[in-house]
Parts: sequence; structure tokens; C-alpha cells
Amino acid sequence: FLIEADVNMSSSSSSSSSAPPVPPAAAFPLKESAASASILVPQVQATTFVHHSGIIPTFQNVVSTLNVCCKLDLKEIAMKARNAEYNPQRFAAVIMRIRDPKTTALIFGSGKIVVTGAKNENLSRLAARKYARIIQKLNFPAVFSEFRIQNMVASVDVKFPIRLEGLAYEHEEYASYEPELFPGLIYRMISPRVVLLIFVSGKVVITGAKKREDTFTAFENIFPVLCDFRKEI
Amino acid sequence: LSFHCVCCLRVQFLIFSQDLFLQVPTTSAAGNKFYPTSTMSIGGYMQLVCCPSHPDADLIEDHRAGDQICSECGLVVGDRVIDVGSEWRTFSNEKANSDPSRVGSAENPLFNGSDLSTLVGPAVSASGASAHPSTTAGGGNAADMIKYQNRRALSNSDRTLLNAFREIGGMADKINLGQAITDRANYLFKQVHDGRSLKGRSNDAIASASLYIACRQEGVPRTFKEICAVSRISKKEIGRCFKLILRALETSVELITTGDFMSRFCANLNLPNTVMKAATCIAKKAVETDIVPGRSPISVAAAAIYMASQASECKKSQKEIGDVAGVAEVTIRQSYKLLYQKARELFPEGFHFVTPIEQLPQFKSMTWSPVCCFMHSHSLCTYPYCRHLNTATLLAFSNN
Repeated sequence: FLIEADVNMSSSSSSSSSAPPVPPAAAFPLKESAASASILVPQVQATTFVHHSGIIPTFQNVVSTLNVCCKLDLKEIAMKARNAEYNPQRFAAVIMRIRDPKTTALIFGSGKIVVTGAKNENLSRLAARKYARIIQKLNFPAVFSEFRIQNMVASVDVKFPIRLEGLAYEHEEYASYEPELFPGLIYRMISPRVVLLIFVSGKVVITGAKKREDTFTAFENIFPVLCDFRKEI
Repeated sequence: LSFHCVCCLRVQFLIFSQDLFLQVPTTSAAGNKFYPTSTMSIGGYMQLVCCPSHPDADLIEDHRAGDQICSECGLVVGDRVIDVGSEWRTFSNEKANSDPSRVGSAENPLFNGSDLSTLVGPAVSASGASAHPSTTAGGGNAADMIKYQNRRALSNSDRTLLNAFREIGGMADKINLGQAITDRANYLFKQVHDGRSLKGRSNDAIASASLYIACRQEGVPRTFKEICAVSRISKKEIGRCFKLILRALETSVELITTGDFMSRFCANLNLPNTVMKAATCIAKKAVETDIVPGRSPISVAAAAIYMASQASECKKSQKEIGDVAGVAEVTIRQSYKLLYQKARELFPEGFHFVTPIEQLPQFKSMTWSPVCCFMHSHSLCTYPYCRHLNTATLLAFSNN
């Protein structure tokens, strides 16, 4: 799948830290670069993102919405379907869960569904199709339409402690660090428009991205900044 | 004028004509399109009228005509200036409740819109009776009150401002904050109110948050819990409004440090000055050497106070310190455990130990058997970046 990788090109691209991600001919330059401790094989996609930092964020949660384009009778769904709970006094939607992919869906009476808990975009789409199928089987004229990923949450560990006060002081237009309110620093990046939660231990949570590349770009943007504010033990 | 260069001749001409304008004073400043009166704003608070060509010159007031005249060039800068002196003089007795030389309260021009409405109050008391000639003395009050009920409807947009200012003033009073902080909080509230970006939020929440920001900006921060204690709004909501206000006004605040709270907490606990100084030193060194990473400065301060007070004669319990600082006992214990390990370096030199460091309370958890973390060889690995903590404690737990 990958291999024709041009070794020279990949090693030079991984060493340069300020070049914007240029999609080379090879698909996964990380596989060739000796520096990074390559982790898992990323999902099979035609991504050509170059991770200059050598660390790839792992996705923890993908939230997506979908429209089955027909009004739903929530009581009926709650009674007939397995693994569905419906408490109209508490929340006006049916909460349904499926085991594989392990996801939860909020099904509203208007026909709109919110799917949460998937680990990546493909699984989210698969789960959404499964939910639409369940609705279909319950004799509703369900259609799989308007599937859209709303949010992708990823976490990453840079493996060194970070001086949050310094970072907050330097980037005060973007960073908000209030130890009384939350122990992590909340960094609101403008482009791409994502929010990063940065903790003292070096763990970073990246959220708010609608595309995988946004997450990766955000992390590549913040990684040199974090290296600047590394704590020397 | 003596320039002969062809390309510059036009330029020379322009300068000359502008010069002429500047030297000719005009007699009416308002509506003058050549140079409108300039007003300077200093720090956004006050607006001073000054002559546009001589900003530093004094202005002479002509009371009869209501003018302000520049002393250097004679330009009339202020036109139809309202005299804010008293309306008449009284030479009456010593202690009249109300000063009859003044009509109405002092205006608050910075905050309210031009509040030039008339309010009719109840009739004056019998001793200084000034009853209307048309009404009787007894029924005069009731009739006046009913007749002038429209008093309420007169200040519309300012009513929220007035309410908020009263709320801020009340809160500041409960925690004994100075007038400077109250004024700043009022000004912040007005800015937020004018900006209209937080329109949907409860006014009390915005008032509490602006009081919090004012305290921070003045350099005497109060914890969120202290503001919660005098406000009916929850800490979560105040925190949300705080972040929204900072974004709306595009300001930022300084990070809180442990030293900001030391004097207040120690005073509330009636701790002597030596203990306060020691606690300040402990907390400062702890943060500098970073033995308490990721801990809120309040928790570190509370733990430092606990350590300092336990080492001196007036020992305070964790519960008392937790009550004063708004920190849970468990949190103080956690931070204290981290501080205790480096206790020797943290205390200031020349500190008189009533209880030596070895006898300071230690909190070894009873339920865990000491399992040595092989990476850092601590009996209960508290090195915060040790990834092996979890496996070590899990082993200990399963053993038990």
C-alpha cells in the first residue's frame, strides 16, 4: 500500500520542522523515519499528513449527527428496540446503545440523531448507518442522510512537563489558565479553530475539530510552543 | 515662501495656509468645522476639554457667559458650560439633615446617561415645613405620592445599572473592599452592559464576576469562593461570566500567586506575623522549586499555612484552615504531603521551630502497604510524572 516511499524525501521532511505539510508521493512517511517511536498503524485513509513532531494524537471520541428524514415515535422505539431508554421528563430523546462499534445515540422525535462514542470517523459513520438501519427495521421510513461529523476529540502525551504559567503569560490572547476553575490551560487556537487543554503533566487534549487534519495541524502548531515551555527537572 | 524648487512649491503653499488658520481664533467653538473642540480621554475615565492647539494651556472660566477660554490663544473652547456650584447659600443652624444649598444628589456622569429627570420626593418634615400653598399639611404627603407615581418609569436603561451598582456596593461592603475596587467593578459592569455581548446572562452574575475582576486588577485578588460567599450566584456561573467578560472586554488578568492570599488567611486565623512570613516563604519556595506541580495556588497556600502553624506554637487544624481558605481538608493533606518531603529547604532561615520538622504531622496512608516504585524508589511514589504509579498502587491494593 505505502511502500514506494522515497526515503530521502521522507527523512528530510521529517527533520524540517517549519515547512507546511506538503503531501509527498509516499503515504506514510512516519513508517520510514527512524526518529519517531511509531505507534499504531493509523486507519486506512489517503492522508498525507506529515507529523513533524513525531507524535500522532489518538482519537478518543467522534460526535456526528444524522437525519433520517421522518418523524419518529419515541415511545414506540423505546418499547420495541433493545438497549433503548426513554425518560421524557428528563430528556426529550431516546438514548440507544449498540455494542459494535461501541456507541451511544440520542434519537429525537424530529428524526435527527446524534451519535457519540466512536473512535474514528469511519466507525462513526458505520454506527450511524446501523442506527438508521434499526430505525428502518422498526417500520419507519428512515433514510441515511446528512451525515456530518461535528466534533473529534483526541488526546496526546508529549512526555515532558510543561510550564503553564509561562505559556499563559506568553500567549495571553489565546490561553486561559485559571487554576481555581480548571487545572489545565485552555488554549483556543484560531486556525484551525480548535481548543486544546494542556496539562502540567504533558498530556494534551485536542477538541473541536471537524476534520482529522485540523487536529493534526493544531498539534503540530502547538508542539514547538510546548517544547519552549518545557520544565527542566 | 522663498522656495524656488518646482516640485516643492505646492507643499510650501499648503503649509503656509494651514499656519494662517491656526493663528486666527474663532469666537464660536461649537459646530466649527475647521477645528472641532477636542476632548481628551485620560484612561477612559474622564473627558477634559482643552484647546486643540494648546492642550496643556489652562482654561479660564468666564462664569457670566458660561465660556471656557484658552489662556494662550484666546480660543473659546467650552460653550454654555453648566455651573455645578451650589444654587444658593444658607446661613442656618449647625446640623440640618439635608443641605438646602444643594438640590438633588451629586450626579454620576461617568455611569448614568444624562439623568436630567425630575423626581418628586415626599414633603419635608414639619420643622422645616415647606408645604405647598395649595395642599393641606396632613393630606399633602399622600396626595403628592400618588400624583407623582411616574417617578419609577423615568430612568429606564439606567435602572439595571443602578441595581447592579447597588448589588456590587452591597457585596463589596460585606467583604470590606475599598471604594476603588467598587468603582472599578462599576466601570467594568457599565462596559459590559454597553457592549451588550453578555446580554442574556443574569445581572447579578455579571456583577459578581466584575467584582472578582476588579479585585484581581487592583492587585488584591479574592478567591471565587469568597465572592460566592457574598453572592447568590454559583461558582460555576461566576467562572463562566468571568471568562466571557474577559473575552468581551479583551482584557486579561494577572495569574494569582500564593502570596496574594497569605496576609488575609493568616489574619483570619489569628496567626502571628512570624508564622505568616514563614508560610509565605514556604509557599513561594514550593512554587519556585516546583514540588507541587498542577496544584491550585490556594491549596498550596493553605498547606503552607498548615505547615508553618504546626511548626510554631499556635497550631491550626486542617479543618480551620480549610474553612478560612475554602479548600477541602483532603486537598490540604495532599499538598502538605508534597511539601513535607522537602520541608527542610522550604522553611526560611532563622525560623524558630517550636515543633521540629521531624515531629511535624505526617500522613502515611494506612490502607496501602509501601510498594517500592522501581523507577524512583519512593515508597509511595509521589513523583507526579511517574507512569508506574498506577501499577504500583494497584499491586498494593490487590495485595491488601
